[in-house]
Amino acid sequence: MKRITVGLLLGAMLVVLLSTVSEMPQFGSPSNPTHNYISSRYVGKSALETGAVNVVTGIILDYRAFDTFGEATVIFVAALAVISVLARGGRSGD
Amino acid sequence: MIEDNDIILKQAARVLTPFILIYGIYITFHGHLTPGGGFSGGTVIASSLILNRISSGNHGSGPEIDRMMGIASIALVCYGLIKAMGTFFPDFTHRVLPRGIPGDLLSGGAILPLNIAVGFVVACVMYIFFCLIGEEA
Repeated sequence: MKRITVGLLLGAMLVVLLSTVSEMPQFGSPSNPTHNYISSRYVGKSALETGAVNVVTGIILDYRAFDTFGEATVIFVAALAVISVLARGGRSGD
Repeated sequence: MIEDNDIILKQAARVLTPFILIYGIYITFHGHLTPGGGFSGGTVIASSLILNRISSGNHGSGPEIDRMMGIASIALVCYGLIKAMGTFFPDFTHRVLPRGIPGDLLSGGAILPLNIAVGFVVACVMYIFFCLIGEEA
């Protein structure tokens, strides 16, 4: 009885997920919601607004510079964690 | 890590290290012109430091790690200060760091110093990772 219930629930979940996937916009079609004003502004005005020829660098260090700040902080905190686990200098009595 | 009499490896690393270092600095400084930037350039700089460490075979790393963590902290604070200055005082920042002509090396406003700060952080952190994990092995 339990297995049948689990199977029915999984089948219902499968139907819901597959119907959602079939409703998704087609890959690469120009009417996708990802092709909005943001990407056209990045491609068209990035060199003018940031002064950088490399559009990717213009995005990650000018439009989204605080996101890159978070990434650098994540790397720094990872170094702190590795030091706290692996360092065995004579400074502390571990 | 290696024997003291491995002279071929030592000399080859001595010749290669400055070129790798220069290449990493080039990638970091041209981040706003060509593909690359602080993350990839910092990784290349760290690889040159790691090659130097492997070939010279010194083992003491306590004060070195302290110095590298200090450099990384200062670079991270500099990144935050530069970006905060650009956010809260945009006019002043544009006078100090002008946008210039797109395509020049000194252009792009605050992007070049931010790239350099990210490069310092990534290089120091990668070197620290290698020091600690290589010691464990």
